[in-house]
Amino acid sequence: MAGNFWQSAHYQQWLLDSQDLIQERRPDLEVLSEEEYQKIMIFFSNFIQQLGETLKLRQQVIATATTFLKRFYARNSLRCIDPLLLAPTSVFLASKVEEFGVISNSRLISTCQTVVKNKFSYAYTTEFPYRTTHILECEFYLLESMDCCLIVYQPYRPLVQYMQDLGGEGEVLQLAWRIVNDSLRTDVCLLFPPYEIALACIHMACVVHQKDCKQWFAELNTDLDRIMEITRYILNLYELWKTYDERKEIQSLLQKMPKPQTQPGPR
Amino acid sequence: MDLEWKEKRNNERAKVEELFGYEGCKVGRGTYGHVYKAKRKDSSDTKEYALKQIEGSGLSMSACREIALLRELKHPNVINLQRVFLSHADRKVWLLFDYAEHDLWHIIKFHRAAKANKKTVQVAKGMVKSLLYQILDGIRYLHSNWVLHRDLKPANILVMGEGTERGRVKIADMGFARLFNSPLKPLADLDPVVVTFWYRAPELLLGARHYTKAIDIWAIGCIFAELLTSEPIFHCRQEDIKTSNPYHHDQLDRIFNVMGFPQEKDWVDIKKMPEHGTLMKDFKKNNYSNCSLVKYMDRHKIKPEGKAFMLLQKLLTMDPTKRITSELAMQDPYFLEDPLPTQDVFAAGPIPYPKRDFLSDEEQDDKSENKKKVFMEQNWTSQQRAAAAKVRMGGGGQEPASKRVRLGHHQSNMANQQNFSHSHMTQRNHPNQLSGRQQQHPGHVQQGAMMNYTNTQQSNNFNQRY
Repeated sequence: MAGNFWQSAHYQQWLLDSQDLIQERRPDLEVLSEEEYQKIMIFFSNFIQQLGETLKLRQQVIATATTFLKRFYARNSLRCIDPLLLAPTSVFLASKVEEFGVISNSRLISTCQTVVKNKFSYAYTTEFPYRTTHILECEFYLLESMDCCLIVYQPYRPLVQYMQDLGGEGEVLQLAWRIVNDSLRTDVCLLFPPYEIALACIHMACVVHQKDCKQWFAELNTDLDRIMEITRYILNLYELWKTYDERKEIQSLLQKMPKPQTQPGPR
Repeated sequence: MDLEWKEKRNNERAKVEELFGYEGCKVGRGTYGHVYKAKRKDSSDTKEYALKQIEGSGLSMSACREIALLRELKHPNVINLQRVFLSHADRKVWLLFDYAEHDLWHIIKFHRAAKANKKTVQVAKGMVKSLLYQILDGIRYLHSNWVLHRDLKPANILVMGEGTERGRVKIADMGFARLFNSPLKPLADLDPVVVTFWYRAPELLLGARHYTKAIDIWAIGCIFAELLTSEPIFHCRQEDIKTSNPYHHDQLDRIFNVMGFPQEKDWVDIKKMPEHGTLMKDFKKNNYSNCSLVKYMDRHKIKPEGKAFMLLQKLLTMDPTKRITSELAMQDPYFLEDPLPTQDVFAAGPIPYPKRDFLSDEEQDDKSENKKKVFMEQNWTSQQRAAAAKVRMGGGGQEPASKRVRLGHHQSNMANQQNFSHSHMTQRNHPNQLSGRQQQHPGHVQQGAMMNYTNTQQSNNFNQRY
């Protein structure tokens, strides 16, 4: 498994079809445009990243947590669980799966409070509202929604291996690594196997640094059309970022976002 | 969380107690939780299942690892996770497996009992070889997938009973297993001490920081020796089980008593072990000059020129870098020699071992003891009842016999085993060193197996524990 992606639950159950994904998101896309939906997902990926860095987690754990969040919303509406609750829950679960060690509940909650207050005050004017019991309850629903598939294959390992083969200089690897991080803000981790994502990021990094890799890619026995497709997803993200100011827009987006009804009430 | 969605989820969720019947069918109890023998209530199939209720509530790190790994692993010699049940109301996690009727702890115990009574057990000639081959195959699969078991011991090696997978080994209890291709933390930081002392490799006892494939191989060597002789090869009196210090003087002493003290040329890097200084201070190699694996196994009638011994020696190599790998071990001449290993370790012959006993729910509660006994006896066959009665009338021991009645079926071997365990303990331990703690077999302190004895036996001075 850890050695064989092709027999993994990730490969067998969690490589989704883009049409399927659109279908699953339909209820949310009645309220939000596709771009707005993506901006919300970007925001919560950023939240996980901040939370992870504050908790001093490795990028691998952060990437797994982000993938958990995306898997959940690939199967459920944003209305089902507030992503502000699901994000720390994903971090909590990922840290156990990736064997970083269990983050204590109180530390997780207090870090959430600090991060919301210090880093995301432009999005939230109130205190982080959730407590340990919410996280623990949410964890079961997350686990259930993922059908207990917890091992996530990330592009980082194939990235490093390919770069060794390519004879990559430090700066190409460094840039490719950052592009992999950015790719977590797109749907590619739900749609493509990690080795293809790694290749797309290497290709992009080579183009930026004007490193000639045509021959190397030609010799790879891989479908270049798919690599190009991944590249398009990531380029779209960079395109969006050119004009998008999260600080200005996110509050109204979060307001617009479908929300759970937590109190029994008239429908 | 959205109420309506939650409600919908809760209604759709399959509940373990609705799908499976397992009440009164506990077969295992330990630090990992409870294991029940279960059947489907709707009888859409009549197969037997093992239902494991994970200890504690919620998703502990080890529960999380176990689910994450088992969800991915698929090999005939590795236990197969059929399904996970999450019980939201009480926050319990249940794992569903195929039921394995036997395990090596029970099988070896049965052989010891027979040996102590100078009886022979009729089993397939190649059984030990078949068992070892399948253990190696399962571990080879785990290792090739970057999974270390880290807690191999007889109780974790299951063997399937009658059925489509008759006589097949299933490696179980992956709660401690972990991926090791890119540890985010030094492996030793997570669980300070995990492998049961008796099966623990010398490098771990000397403070090795990282678990390796070689550590699993050492444990397999110990299990192989135990299968050959019916004695735990590195049997050692147990101190506190949960210690964060890996260095364990008595266990090392026991290993050297069997293997001899490692020569410099045999294990060059021993000097680099964190506890090497303590080792040099505590041990004199001259004390072990008469010890060797050849002599030890020879005392147990295993000839040093035999292929079994030669493979054992490769598994029990002190220097972890020189220890054989599972792939190579599987190609050993031992497996090419008659009798060849078989898929059914019983080779279609009869299975002499008893089925698992059912345990009661409150082993410690004296008040429920009588009630439970009555309940259990109601379910006995007349034969079992007669056997139990015989024991109660003084089948062999100093304690009031009724206190030692084993609950459940298969009473017939009981008297023998008790005799045997008693004599064994007095043989191996100085009587005044004994306390309840020290007698515990690390393999069954955690295993339901032990409850057969402990649930009716709390006395400190009567040693039935192994």
